[in-house]
Amino acid sequence: MRYLRIRYHPLSYRYSPIPKGEAVAWRAIVHSAIGTRHQQKQLPCQDYGSYVLQGDTIIGAVADGAGSAKFSDVGAQLAVKTALNTLGQQSDEWSAIDVQRMNAEANLFFTEMIQAVIAALHAEAETGEYHVRELGCTLLSFIATPHWLACMQIGDGFIVTQSEQMDSFDLLFEPSKGEYINETVFVTSEDAVAYMQVSVRAGHHPFVCAATDGLEKVAIRFHDWQAFAPFFRPFLECLRSVSAAEDRQAYLEAFLESDRLNAKTDDDKTLLLCLDGQEADA
Amino acid sequence: MIGQPEFVENPENRCPVILLVDTSSSMTGAPMEALNSGLEAFKEAVLQDEQAALRVDVAIVGFGPVELVQDFVTIDQFMPMQLEAHGLTPMGEALSYALDLLENRKTTYRNNGIQYYRPWVFLITDGAPNTDSPWQQAAERLKNAEAQRKLSFFAVGVQGADMSILNQIAPPERPPLMLHGLDFRSMFLWLSDSMVRVSSSTVGGDMVALPPVGWGQIAT
Repeated sequence: MRYLRIRYHPLSYRYSPIPKGEAVAWRAIVHSAIGTRHQQKQLPCQDYGSYVLQGDTIIGAVADGAGSAKFSDVGAQLAVKTALNTLGQQSDEWSAIDVQRMNAEANLFFTEMIQAVIAALHAEAETGEYHVRELGCTLLSFIATPHWLACMQIGDGFIVTQSEQMDSFDLLFEPSKGEYINETVFVTSEDAVAYMQVSVRAGHHPFVCAATDGLEKVAIRFHDWQAFAPFFRPFLECLRSVSAAEDRQAYLEAFLESDRLNAKTDDDKTLLLCLDGQEADA
Repeated sequence: MIGQPEFVENPENRCPVILLVDTSSSMTGAPMEALNSGLEAFKEAVLQDEQAALRVDVAIVGFGPVELVQDFVTIDQFMPMQLEAHGLTPMGEALSYALDLLENRKTTYRNNGIQYYRPWVFLITDGAPNTDSPWQQAAERLKNAEAQRKLSFFAVGVQGADMSILNQIAPPERPPLMLHGLDFRSMFLWLSDSMVRVSSSTVGGDMVALPPVGWGQIAT
């Protein structure tokens, strides 16, 4: 069965026309919840996350606006949208690219994407008459095809995946933090591209998760940088077995807004989770 | 590797601060008394913030002779002691000692998977270094450490302090402060407020707005 091929159009992504009754290639849920500290200070949620489907491929991105940057909520949204648009434009059929070529060119693709993001932030700063630093944010994005998974990360946050055997959860990158807990690298940092981490993994990765650093504490074991399976397993189960999309979304939102979670982290948090539709229960 | 008990019991991020206190004999009497009660006030103030009490990690180095009066301890476990004044002013030796102590502490944090904030070193003196004290070398080392953002250094002079030497030790962006009288209490309350702010800051650059300094003035 061929999936409908979707050509690039900036507005058509999230709502790409998938004929009724046809299997969806990926089940994905994404949500950003404001941190209690930001709520107290009456700041907006400075996180953002989104994804687009391209046939049997999913492209996702999340960003965390810098706490000290005044308009980082705008920056985070713009960074995610620009990243998704750029990756969507670079190829209209990522799954046709083989892993050898991706291995060789992932750096180029992602560098071009970051440059587009930086350019978009500069343009926005000019229009809004503020300094580009005030739009500072981290950025994590990935492209998951049936043959490979390509990921990039600037700053903190995490991408976790499960390979085809689906036996363990793997953390793609260690967060690139500065020495101190309250510091990280941003897309707007000087020489941000130099801090970009890129990874290409061969093979099908039916589960991919990207999140901002507000969830690091509960999802990652810091001392040896291992993904904490009890955090991810329930989401995997939810994606697999909950059949209605709105119920899956409600599950994620309830978790991210829960008091139990807010007792452990006071930061904004974004979680983007995807499961290959073929792994889902009917 | 087995984690050390202090980090198993309290895995919070740490916000290290070294108090580098001149305990030479000129501090005897009223200055030492004011300083000691200031320390008590510091502990009480930090304790008001539950999170800061677990995060602010204080060490005290005295220098009459250089002496580790209090190794790093979080405020919830900190028992302020009565510092006593005697001896000379080996300021250079004390600065070097503090820099080493800090590097060792960072290694301990890393070995135990503990994340931390940029440390503070807070020098309090009422005098000038001994003539044979290698303070210039220590100042040089300190400047490099500042430039590499390894720490934030603050110098406070009490009546009688050689402010021109403190000016040569302190980084240009953070000139030394002259304490108003013996108002250590206000100084320590400010330090507490600052530590609470730093220890609760989240990712987002390195700018934590510090409270205004009401207890001293910049010496010119």
